[in-house]
Amino acid sequence: MAAFLLKRFMQSIVLLVIVSVIGYVVLNLIPGGPLAQYALDPGMTEEDRNRIATQLGLNRPLWVQYFDWASRLLQGDWGTSFRDSNPVLSVVARHVPATLLLMGTATIIAVAVGTVIGIWGATHRYSIFDYLATVGAMVALSIPTFWFGLVGIYVFALRLGWLPAGNMYTIGDGSVLNYLHHLIMPSVVLALVHIAIWSRFMRTATLDAMSQEFVKTARAKGLSERRVILKHVVGNALLPMITLAGVQLPSLLTGALVTETVFTWPGMGRLFLDSLSNSDYPVVMGLLMFSAILTIVGSLVADIVVALVDPRIRLA
Amino acid sequence: MTETKKTRAGASRRDALHMMAAGTAAGLFAPNLLGKPAYGQTRPTTPKGRIVVGVTQEPTVFNPLMPHIEVDDSVHFSVFDALYRISPKGEFMANLASEVPSQANGGISADGLNWRIRLRNNVHWHDGKPFTAEDVKYTLELIVNPKFRAWRTTGHALVRDITVVSPTEITWRLEQPFAPYLSFLTETFIVPKHILGTEANPSESAFNKEPVGTGAFKWSKRVAGDHIELVANTSYHGEGPFIERLIFKYIPDMTVMYTQFRSGDIDVAGQAFITPDNYKEASRLPDRSVTLVPAGSVESIYLNLEKPQFRDRAVREALYMAIDRQAIIDILYHGVPHVTETFMPPQSWYYRSDLPKHEFNLARAGQLLDQAGWRPGPDGIRVKDGVRLSFNNSTTTGAHLREQTQQLIQQTFAKIGVEMKILNQPAAVMWGDFWGKSQFDTAMVGITYLIAADPDVSLRFHTRSIVAKGGRGSNNAQYSNPEVDDLLDQGTRTFDPKARHEIYNRVQGIVRNDLPFLPLFTYNRVYGLKAKIQGFVPNANTRSEAWNAAGWYWS
Amino acid sequence: MTTLTLRSAPKRAWWRSRVVRRFLSHRLAVLGLVMITLLSLACTLGPYLLPYDSLQIDLRARFAPPLTGNHYLGADPLGRDLAARLLMAGRISLLVGFFSMLLATLVGTLVGVIAGYIGGWTNTILMRTVDGFLSFPTIFLLLALAAALKPSPIMITVIIALTSWMTVARIVATEVATLKEREFVLAGRMLGLSRFHIMFREILPNAMGPIIVAATLTVARAILLEAYISFLGFGIQPPLPSWGNMLNGAQQYLDSAPWLAIIPGVAIAIAVTSFNFIGDGMRDALDVRGEHD
Repeated sequence: MAAFLLKRFMQSIVLLVIVSVIGYVVLNLIPGGPLAQYALDPGMTEEDRNRIATQLGLNRPLWVQYFDWASRLLQGDWGTSFRDSNPVLSVVARHVPATLLLMGTATIIAVAVGTVIGIWGATHRYSIFDYLATVGAMVALSIPTFWFGLVGIYVFALRLGWLPAGNMYTIGDGSVLNYLHHLIMPSVVLALVHIAIWSRFMRTATLDAMSQEFVKTARAKGLSERRVILKHVVGNALLPMITLAGVQLPSLLTGALVTETVFTWPGMGRLFLDSLSNSDYPVVMGLLMFSAILTIVGSLVADIVVALVDPRIRLA
Repeated sequence: MTETKKTRAGASRRDALHMMAAGTAAGLFAPNLLGKPAYGQTRPTTPKGRIVVGVTQEPTVFNPLMPHIEVDDSVHFSVFDALYRISPKGEFMANLASEVPSQANGGISADGLNWRIRLRNNVHWHDGKPFTAEDVKYTLELIVNPKFRAWRTTGHALVRDITVVSPTEITWRLEQPFAPYLSFLTETFIVPKHILGTEANPSESAFNKEPVGTGAFKWSKRVAGDHIELVANTSYHGEGPFIERLIFKYIPDMTVMYTQFRSGDIDVAGQAFITPDNYKEASRLPDRSVTLVPAGSVESIYLNLEKPQFRDRAVREALYMAIDRQAIIDILYHGVPHVTETFMPPQSWYYRSDLPKHEFNLARAGQLLDQAGWRPGPDGIRVKDGVRLSFNNSTTTGAHLREQTQQLIQQTFAKIGVEMKILNQPAAVMWGDFWGKSQFDTAMVGITYLIAADPDVSLRFHTRSIVAKGGRGSNNAQYSNPEVDDLLDQGTRTFDPKARHEIYNRVQGIVRNDLPFLPLFTYNRVYGLKAKIQGFVPNANTRSEAWNAAGWYWS
Repeated sequence: MTTLTLRSAPKRAWWRSRVVRRFLSHRLAVLGLVMITLLSLACTLGPYLLPYDSLQIDLRARFAPPLTGNHYLGADPLGRDLAARLLMAGRISLLVGFFSMLLATLVGTLVGVIAGYIGGWTNTILMRTVDGFLSFPTIFLLLALAAALKPSPIMITVIIALTSWMTVARIVATEVATLKEREFVLAGRMLGLSRFHIMFREILPNAMGPIIVAATLTVARAILLEAYISFLGFGIQPPLPSWGNMLNGAQQYLDSAPWLAIIPGVAIAIAVTSFNFIGDGMRDALDVRGEHD
């Protein structure tokens, strides 16, 4: 186990270096840069922009900037946002709750609905329901989320007027009910895709579990089908879901980007987009590193949990 | 706002103000702009209520001296004060200063070099400390401090020998006469020395996150990515504020902002305002007041004059003629903007209205090109001396009305044998070296030419402002005309408004003739607010709709 | 079931092969194939049959709702015929999708075969690079690259391929790694066949199943990705229509002209769903256990 962890750790470090280098280079490839937003300012001269670039350290060679950034990062300094001169960590932290709220709600909906659909589909294999669920999942995975969002806004906000078209809450209200009201549409839209993924996974996992010996044994012992499914099958089918959850971890960060854009949700996805379009390098790099770390941790956790739960798998 | 304090300024600058008032197109404004007395009785005695202003970009810079964008101005105007401010009519109104300096009142010496500013003595910072001349000195010095990440330094870099004569009087000397500095100071907000002066690095001070000013509103809190809340400064030295809380709500999409304005979630549709598409519908909304307000910016097609296609004036003239400007304004922009022939905004006293009028005439445009020797090549595109009349037109991606306009122009250009290809770029790319170092062929841009209503446009049209040729400024069209250069130099040295009027009239005439850019229209912003909001005064001389939030109140 | 046996199997008409029969029994896959064929035909021929050109501006017809005169699907804010634009956009979107897939599959297969067959350090380096690319949020790579490069259809194709080859590479590497231990490969080595020959002539044909499935799903993904970046304004630029950029301006008119948003969305949904169905059918027919399921 220790050897395994050490090896994975070393690999992760290498991976992070690769990600940071590619990210840094790609980001700097974008012409324009952080000062482009002042280009139309009537009173700001090229001289002013050059001075500011020097003050921000942007006039140094790229590799110097990279090593400066990387060595600061190693000391725990994530840098300062160009756009709102706050430390990157605090900029990011302030956008976390909104995304967590949206992603959390969407995930709960997706897991709940997806699990039920998946199990029902597996236990009623080849029924109309199973068929529709399979097709439905595939269609849901084939439609751009933002389009669901647009249609949702058109129907429920513009035509029916039942739900707000965007935002997390109404200023000055901010009651729980108000939050919920705003949460419904974006979380359902976001959940649609996840329901599709979860239900497909759950169905496969349930089918796998049902063909196991112990299920047959349990049936032979005369347990009711309901108990067999709930106790033995579902319990075992949940295992692969842990893996999926691990793999899905990084989508916490950017998974909601498009949904946040369509519904003007003040989360990390929008921070990412705003920062990218303003070339706020420190924030974009910060988000990128977080995302990479989440990816690594996610797959690691998934591996470990599976190994712990299932003695048949050994870590190597 | 602080219009009560403009008393002496008005008297002392009588000549200038008379002319300015006369020259202003009064009809463009509501008649009672600064005429508060008309509804003075209904103003609350203590601040009441809350106003939510929707903005489509997030204000993030709260130190007014640091690099920022338009939307940040709204916060600065509310939290801070400048020495004086500029009215919608272009008059200077004392703010922290007790009078506006001029050559007539002796505030500015006859040669324009020595300045003396008298300050109000009853002003306090939000933390209770008194405001003094030391703060002004500190502010002006901080701007040019090489260690400080300052915003604009033009003008400020000329200031020498700042001397605090008394807590309410300060003097300085300018390295050379520079008339626009008077205007620049209306956008130079004064920051507290007692807070920033003790910071090792003012660029990264806590002050920048929770600013302390002298303005009508105090900083309350910011919910990042969502909104900023300011509260009334009940001991404000000027008039107001009359509302308890002022909120800037960030809504990153203009359509969504309009939807929320319609639903009543926001009280004011601020920066970047209601889109022209929605103007008609918006003006029919009940309990809303939707008005067209002239903005300082002019939409145009910038030509990169160093490209061989555009060296020939006949080409520029023909292209201008081949733009169906009326269709663009009336149909694409729903009749919201106004035609213009110059860079000067029509509400400026310096606006020249007798310039030759644009005419949409494809036949004439084709003739012009024929005469100039541009003959159709085998593919129908005109050629002269091996140069094809083909070029790119760029603007920022996602600006849907501009994209529509581009495509319409593309089509009419094609009819006279001119190929215009569309090459749009994301904002960060568009406004980088591509624009700054004049790498574009043509660009569709909306440009604000004046800084706080001063008519000086040296940064845009002077030869030494061509960055691509090693200059300093933003002459992105690479326009160079020695006569204009001379006039512009003269203009910055001249303080007498009449003389300046003459100078800038000539500049506008020459630029109209040379056509370094093809004017499309001057913007009208579609302001929307709830009908019950009183005291709202649009001001095209500032970049912010909330420049006088101190005067707003609910009826 | 090795190549040797497969290749020596008696030649049968391809349409009667087991693979084709199994594919045809997958009803949704057939439906997908039919839809894609129809869609491709419509996009290829349709523009010639419609009375309007996709770039023809007619301000009198702006915002014409569907079924106005000859504007079967209505007109856009510049009065251009929506049906004509939809079909022209389909050409772009489908071509971008197809060529992204081709490029991604080529690169992915190459990397996968080399990594899987040679193994050792080569494998480690290549696979860590794959991991590296996979650790980026796709949307970051897409948007940053689209901003860095000029967003022409070719560039967008390259960019999408650049964010899609990793899955193929992984699948192929795993497949090749197992195949290389098989007897026919060992036999090839003993016969003194060159590495190149073994990799691309012996192993690759046996790994075609998973590659084909991955490729089909990559087309679906590529069409979606094009839609995403164009929707966010970083993709294909007007006046060239693509399904994605037709949606870009549409949010603005959601209230007054909802068909502008609905129609291109339906086209995207049909195309992507069809490719996903086909991929699913292929997987069944070729007997591949996919990563996607």
